[in-house]
Amino acid sequence: MSLFPFFHWLQQTEFGTALRESALVYPIVMASHLTGMALFGGLILMTDLRILGIAMRSSSVSDVIVQLRLWKRLGLVMVAGCGILLAWSKAEYYYQNPYFWIKMALLLLVGVHALVFRKSVYNNTAELDRARVMPTQAKVAACLSLVLWIGLVSAGRLIGYYEVKP
Amino acid sequence: MLVYDPSTNPLNNNEWAFPLAEIIHIASFAVAIGTITIVDLRLLGVGMRRQSSAQLLKDTTPWTLAGLAIVLISGPLIFSSDPNMYLNNPGFQFKMWALLAAIVYNYTIHRKVAKSNPSPMLGKLVGGVSLALWVSVVFGGLFIAFT
Repeated sequence: MSLFPFFHWLQQTEFGTALRESALVYPIVMASHLTGMALFGGLILMTDLRILGIAMRSSSVSDVIVQLRLWKRLGLVMVAGCGILLAWSKAEYYYQNPYFWIKMALLLLVGVHALVFRKSVYNNTAELDRARVMPTQAKVAACLSLVLWIGLVSAGRLIGYYEVKP
Repeated sequence: MLVYDPSTNPLNNNEWAFPLAEIIHIASFAVAIGTITIVDLRLLGVGMRRQSSAQLLKDTTPWTLAGLAIVLISGPLIFSSDPNMYLNNPGFQFKMWALLAAIVYNYTIHRKVAKSNPSPMLGKLVGGVSLALWVSVVFGGLFIAFT
């Protein structure tokens, strides 16, 4: 079953049309999407670098992971919320854009990553603080997170460069 | 006389060069602004409260600088692809003034106050202004495409 009818319906809803045609709201949503990345993307990166023992070593792994958790979640809500609005407004275009689907696949992998490593790494920070050497699993989680997020940013930017054939 | 012709710029002659420069620009400003945000969350008293702002500043300074350095290389490269367009673009003009203000503020007032582990009142003011300045820079950048 094709998802196209759904994307077509989204785009032609009153809300989608208003969003697309607004000279001010559309760029503001896009700017907020980007601002969320600037403010909170760096938090993800610094968390990963702390796990790898490269940055912020004067704070414990738990201090960094636990204290930034709420802000990373809020950031994700802001970025994803604006992203949904952007896709909604030009849904047919996104549907035909391979980079959009690459981005969705990477997002799915971000979800899988969270599920896989939640118990052993992100909710196990006291153990990580006690470990003399950072467990391999935590390092793998941090590296994968870096790769996934850089991939997401890249796919996101490339969406804008794909020309949909008429 | 030498006249710069943007059509000779490699950024305009390779399908992938321009988007790649933009991706590097975005990833590096996320590092720069994200690390400043860590200090600002502490100054605002809403995050990283087990650390002092002075300690967070010390820990993030090299990363902020590295991010800014890459931003300040990739940015001018992007600019060089079409200088006249950028110079006459209101979004770009706004962004440059906001960027100048944000960088000067970051390495003077922001730095000095974060180092001093300020009172909550002063911290909120200085952290708030910092976030506002950096958000303005990002908004200015995005509006280049719409102004």
